[in-house]
Amino acid sequence: MTLADMGLARSSLPRRIYLRWLRLRRSLCFKYLVTLFVAVVLPLTLGAAGEAWFGYRDQSRHLNEVLQLQSRSAAERIDAFADEISVQLGWAVQFPWTDGSDVRHKIDALRLLQQVPAILSIVLVDQSGTERVSVSRVRLNRTGRGSDMSADPAVRGARAGKVWYGPVRYEHDSEPYMRIATAGNLAAAGVAIADVNLKLIWDVIAAIRIGESGHAIVVDDTGRLIAHPDISLVLRGKAGSEDFLRLKQALNANAATIVTTGIGGKPVVAAAAPVTKLGWTVIALQPAAEAYASLRAGLWRSLVLIVIGALIAVALSYGLAMRMSGPIRELEDGAKRIGSGQFDHRIALASGDELEKLATRFNEMAGELAISKQKSERISRLKRFLAPQVAELVENSDGLLDGRRREVVAVFADLRGFTAFSARAEPEIIIAALREYYEAVGAVITAHEATLIQFAGDGVMILLNAPVACADPAHRAVRLAIDLQAAVQSLAKRWSDKGYAMGFGVGIAMGPATVGTIGYEGRLDYTAVGSAINLASRLCDLAGDAQILIDPVVAEQVSCDVRVTWLGERTIKGYSRAMQVFAVVDGESAQRRPRVSITSRAREVLRLDGANPRAALCGLKSASPESPGVGMHPVGH
Amino acid sequence: MRRRDFIALAAGALAWPIAARAEEISRVHRILWLSTASGADPFLDGFREGLRAQGYVEGRNVVLQSHYAPGDPQGLRAIVRELKAGDVDLVVSSGAATRAMSAVTEIPVLFAQSGDPVALGIVKSLAQPGTNFTGTTFLSLELAGKRVELLKDIFPKLRRLAVLSNNDHPGEPSEWNATRQAALALDIDPLYIPFFGPREFDAALATVAEARADAMLAFPEPVTLVNRTRVAQFAASQRLPSMFGWSEYCDAGGLLSYGANQRATYFLLARYADRILRGEKPAELPVVQPEKFELAVNLKTAKLFGEELDLSSILFRASKVLE
Repeated sequence: MTLADMGLARSSLPRRIYLRWLRLRRSLCFKYLVTLFVAVVLPLTLGAAGEAWFGYRDQSRHLNEVLQLQSRSAAERIDAFADEISVQLGWAVQFPWTDGSDVRHKIDALRLLQQVPAILSIVLVDQSGTERVSVSRVRLNRTGRGSDMSADPAVRGARAGKVWYGPVRYEHDSEPYMRIATAGNLAAAGVAIADVNLKLIWDVIAAIRIGESGHAIVVDDTGRLIAHPDISLVLRGKAGSEDFLRLKQALNANAATIVTTGIGGKPVVAAAAPVTKLGWTVIALQPAAEAYASLRAGLWRSLVLIVIGALIAVALSYGLAMRMSGPIRELEDGAKRIGSGQFDHRIALASGDELEKLATRFNEMAGELAISKQKSERISRLKRFLAPQVAELVENSDGLLDGRRREVVAVFADLRGFTAFSARAEPEIIIAALREYYEAVGAVITAHEATLIQFAGDGVMILLNAPVACADPAHRAVRLAIDLQAAVQSLAKRWSDKGYAMGFGVGIAMGPATVGTIGYEGRLDYTAVGSAINLASRLCDLAGDAQILIDPVVAEQVSCDVRVTWLGERTIKGYSRAMQVFAVVDGESAQRRPRVSITSRAREVLRLDGANPRAALCGLKSASPESPGVGMHPVGH
Repeated sequence: MRRRDFIALAAGALAWPIAARAEEISRVHRILWLSTASGADPFLDGFREGLRAQGYVEGRNVVLQSHYAPGDPQGLRAIVRELKAGDVDLVVSSGAATRAMSAVTEIPVLFAQSGDPVALGIVKSLAQPGTNFTGTTFLSLELAGKRVELLKDIFPKLRRLAVLSNNDHPGEPSEWNATRQAALALDIDPLYIPFFGPREFDAALATVAEARADAMLAFPEPVTLVNRTRVAQFAASQRLPSMFGWSEYCDAGGLLSYGANQRATYFLLARYADRILRGEKPAELPVVQPEKFELAVNLKTAKLFGEELDLSSILFRASKVLE
């Protein structure tokens, strides 16, 4: 159970979700997802944004043109509508008023009514400002002198500017009307005043269609609707005029087309044009949703693409992660098995990619680990037979164990009186004694980096300078022997206390021997064969308790450092002539490294034997030639 | 500014539901047509035509149920009493039938009124009805005087005018009043010949015959409309130049008519019907007044009177001349 898992078990839901998120975030799938997502969605999004932006600019420009054009053309047509009426009115004021001209003027006025459907009624005023003729579609016609209208703004306006346009008036607060007055060219012709039903502008406005539901509207200064394709909005009175006023003001502040909140809260694209003669404003507008429908469609398309891209990214990253995670789990499992020591385990991956290479590496590593393990096992096996250093050497330097001839020093040692002891003592005691004995012997051998070739019962055979070469093997052998004696003698003292009298003898010989491994598949031993070996064995046999017997070669080698006594010639089994035998004189304790000198007799013998100059030199150095056991100066002093 | 607009639009574009389209005509709507005219109702044709123009197909997405109580508004009251919300989506009525509907408050009612609907109490104002009623008003009151004037224009010798008036019609008293005043202003002696519903119609005609009038004027209302051919023939046989409210009378042989085009009016009502069926509230649909009035002249009838008529004073103003 990992730390995170433990946290999961304990913690609250949000924390659990957070931890899960953390784990997810670190997963391969997530990393792929992020990468692919960025790779797919980012360009798509940028593309969509760019397209939308440029599309928006183009569409805005186009809309601006269309709306400006429509609003201007509507304004012009409304101007023309008003112009038309004022021009038509001009017909009614061509002739000056005379007493008998009322009927003629009335017919003119009635004709005008017939001519211009928008006119509801016409009042003709003479030059004095008196009403002379009044015709109407709904009221009774009147002729003859009527009321004085000289103060009427229509009369005054028309007289001042020839044509006068009145303000918009709403009958029953619903139907829009306005008065238009035209003065005749002759002052005597008077003024014609028409009441115009503005519902008729509907034809102008309703004809304007921008897109599907774009349209034009006309508002007066106060924002009140004058014309709208939906005539009911005009008839509805003041309701909504704040909306129109706001729209109008927003447009007045901007020369170009703007996007603003329209009627009913929805955004609209709008442009305005003034109807200069009448002081009205034409607003051409289109719902933004419709005006930018193509843009929106594009955005939706892009969104769909982005979603598809994202889905593909998710699918791909999942697929990839799954494709990766299988082999990775395989690798993980394999590494775990190999780690736990199953070096024969092989990761079977055939993905053909880097993972397969990695698996191959893992497999190779497992192989090498197996070899390495075998090697270390071999070393530890070897270490049972060899000094650890030697074992390493043997393992790591090929050929050292091959058969060859070389100068070796053989050391044989065994216990005296062991046979009698083993016959007498209990097996446990025997084994315990042997264990103590070998522990002591083994420690010394290891300390001197010698090679224990074999042991049988109480006897051991130790080899120096083979298989591992060493400097001054004779000296080493002698010191080894001295240490062995010291170690075993201290054991022997304990044993004698327990009632077992056992001694220890050592024989050392030096000479060429054939070394190498012998045996058969499954049981191989490293051994040495040669007369020096035999001689060492024989010397061991000859040696008494606490004695170290050495052959002349060793004696000669060590004579300058170790005190050696000549024991005379001995016949040794297997040798045709008698052999000079020397003994290491060791009066010191085992811990001391003795600085021994050769006795004079021994030196003599050695000289006779053709001792080397070094031995002679050693002899010269020796302090007292005649006193046996003297001339030895322990270094420790 | 532009960028802000753009961002707002882009965000808005994605947020707007695509389903924000106008509601299509999907289910079958039921429209109840109430009339005090006889079965052959020329206005129903106008309304039907209008519905067709709005994309309705009878039987598929609209069902027109019609109830006729010829010249008998009382007969309609029984039907109206039975009506409950949900039975029909819309009621279309005209003239006297509208009065029968005034008890209904849940079902939208479209009317074509010759009188003033505000005075009748079915709407609060023309601009914003504020009730379940809306429709058109023909401004008949104003036109009533105009008809007398036009009759006088074509028949200058007019001194005694028989006015045939159905008492059982909303706004009838004010219509008579307007007519009377106009007649008096034009130096004409108006003879009021009222009748109550179809039952008294024949008697009313007999009264006209005995009235020794110079001309005859009939108010536009269901009973005379239903019997327009009879009225027209009666006037011709009595050698009375006749004046009516709608051109249908002229088609049937009447001499003159002056008023709003009824078919156009019902066409407009069909547009309102469509809007109400799409969910708009009658309370917010203003009462519409006709802006075009047609003066119809039947020249065939005019020939009966020969030189007595001053056709020249009328013909240049006529919008419809029947030859």
